[in-house]
Amino acid sequence: MSDKGLATADEVCVEVSGLWKIFGHNPEAILESEETRTAAKETLHEETGCVVAVRDVSFKVNKGELFVIMGLSGSGKSTLIRCVLRLIEPTAGKILINGEDVCGYDNKQLINLRRHSTGMIFQHFGLFPHRSVLDNAAYGLKVRGVAKEKRYEIAREVLNKVGLKGWENYLPSALSGGMQQRVGIARALANDPDILLMDEPFSGLDPLIRRQMQDELIALQSEVHKTILFVTHDLDEALKLGNHVAIMKDGDIIQMGTPEEVITSPINGYVRSFVQDASPTKVVTASSIMEQPNVLLYEWQGPKAAMHLLRTNHLDEVFMVDRAGKLRGLVTLERLIELFRKGEESLAGAVDTDFVTATADAVLEDLFPLAASTGHPIAVVDEDGKFLGEIFDSTIMISLIQGRGEEDTGSTTTRANGKDENL
Amino acid sequence: MLEFPEFIHFPLAEWIDAIMHWVLTNWGVFFDAVGDSILLVLLYIERFLLWMPWFVAVLLVGLLAWRVMRHWLAGVVMAAFLIVIGSFGYWDLSMMTLAIIIAAVIISLAVGIPVGIIMAKNNRVEAIIRPVLDAMQTMPSFVYLIPALMLFGLGKVPAVFATIIYAVPPVIRLTNVGIRQVPQSIVEAAQAFGSNGRQVLFEVQIPLAIPSIMVGINQTTMMALAMVVIASMIGARGLGLEVLLSINRIEVGRGFEAGLSIVLLAIIIDRITHAMAARQEYTISS
Repeated sequence: MSDKGLATADEVCVEVSGLWKIFGHNPEAILESEETRTAAKETLHEETGCVVAVRDVSFKVNKGELFVIMGLSGSGKSTLIRCVLRLIEPTAGKILINGEDVCGYDNKQLINLRRHSTGMIFQHFGLFPHRSVLDNAAYGLKVRGVAKEKRYEIAREVLNKVGLKGWENYLPSALSGGMQQRVGIARALANDPDILLMDEPFSGLDPLIRRQMQDELIALQSEVHKTILFVTHDLDEALKLGNHVAIMKDGDIIQMGTPEEVITSPINGYVRSFVQDASPTKVVTASSIMEQPNVLLYEWQGPKAAMHLLRTNHLDEVFMVDRAGKLRGLVTLERLIELFRKGEESLAGAVDTDFVTATADAVLEDLFPLAASTGHPIAVVDEDGKFLGEIFDSTIMISLIQGRGEEDTGSTTTRANGKDENL
Repeated sequence: MLEFPEFIHFPLAEWIDAIMHWVLTNWGVFFDAVGDSILLVLLYIERFLLWMPWFVAVLLVGLLAWRVMRHWLAGVVMAAFLIVIGSFGYWDLSMMTLAIIIAAVIISLAVGIPVGIIMAKNNRVEAIIRPVLDAMQTMPSFVYLIPALMLFGLGKVPAVFATIIYAVPPVIRLTNVGIRQVPQSIVEAAQAFGSNGRQVLFEVQIPLAIPSIMVGINQTTMMALAMVVIASMIGARGLGLEVLLSINRIEVGRGFEAGLSIVLLAIIIDRITHAMAARQEYTISS
């Protein structure tokens, strides 16, 4: 799943390391000793009066990736996303955006970054109530100094893109919540930034509108390929949208990984209590449960060789591919025997094209009906029809069971912070 | 023994007299310049108002009231009020009073709005100015007449000066409050899109504070109107002086006419500026 929609993988766009934000007087004192660095939030508040909002957080966001920071209110996720743009000044740590240290920026450079490289979308929309929808969308261009004609032209274009054509001259208050957030998205897109920062953009919307906006974001993202930092308290949203998900608690990232990793192997009770409601059927993908077959037939092989392979591997059916690795069909033992009796030299007659395929990013939910519709294994193929692996009914069953009960295993990226996070 | 001991004597009065004396000798030129500019503003306004034919004024007030209050009856009533004032024989006097009010309000806004903005931007400045404003508003208005008299002598200039001091606090306060009330989320959004401090102020904070500033302007105007009556004690001609004279001569009818004229003038100014303020409301979504 981690490779879904990635334009250029592994090119780091945003890198945050050792980021701290402590509200209160003399926060540096807390950073000085190891004891206070690891002390619980409540203890620190009692002893120093300081509130630790973000605690030694590090993560990387690749270019073109949608990175979700998920946590309940008070977990520091909103503070964290604001620190990235220095809307809130971090206490300590490093923030690299496209390789440049944002913390070292002077005021002018910072404003430049906000004008050209980033766009932000807010939970409460943050629209300017005294400006028309068009002026709102054009705001970023206006502060940048773009001429009126030009900025209106761009603003119209993005408003069109988010489906607000015809609403340009209304005040935001005339629009519904969902439409207001579209204005917010248009305003962020108008600047054509590399990075979008979204702070619970859909939380204030009705469930139905929310789902619709999520789908539209996915569609939009596949078109514009921005690097998106997305904050939410909604796990379903995080799993649906994210290429990677970081789960925050008390200012700390307690688990980070692909949605699948998070849901199949929650790091501790806290995460598990979140994910137990989320069904693995929505996140576990075909590519993660498929198996590489022991035996694969090639077009040019004869029936005799095929018989031999099946017999020695105790199989009664096998997939066949061509030279390019493209899936040709399914060969069953039954048909082979028939062919063999007739004494034919080519395998072509034994190929059953009546097989079921799924794409690598299909989730369990998609696989159930496929499995039910066929008695054979499901073939997993890529967009070009190349064979990737196969899935048996039993594999689906097992992954369903494992998805719920498994303890700390798997390849989930976790941060060892030297303290027990189990609840 | 029971009387307050004479040796506990705090010579505040002497000190203030000394300070005033020092100010007058050393800053006389400065206050002359201030006085001259106040006078200049005032005279232009007064000349214009007295030059304007009465029916033009009535028509303008009627139209303006109709436009801002969005009801024709409002326009008619306001125009009628002005005619009533004229019918008492107080047209010229009321125009003089109006000139002092307008001059005082213009100068109050020119001083008050920037001070309010600075106050909103800086907590320390707010901490200093706020008690000063409180003191200014609790002080009996007569007290302002004394320094005004000392600095500018008798006449219209000290009247305008005293009026400004009395009327400026509301616009400062409400500018401050208006800017501080702009939701942080909106200011943050402006910052997130790369607005610098000036842009945040002029593109977002001031436009959103306009309704509050307008209420401030309305209150400042009403305070100026109240002060103008008192300021007549130091020689400003106008409706206030008329009231003062009729009190001295115990002429009830004349006093009533003058008083009613002031009330009608107040209603006209209040209703129009109030309606202007109300029109500026935006719905801020959350």
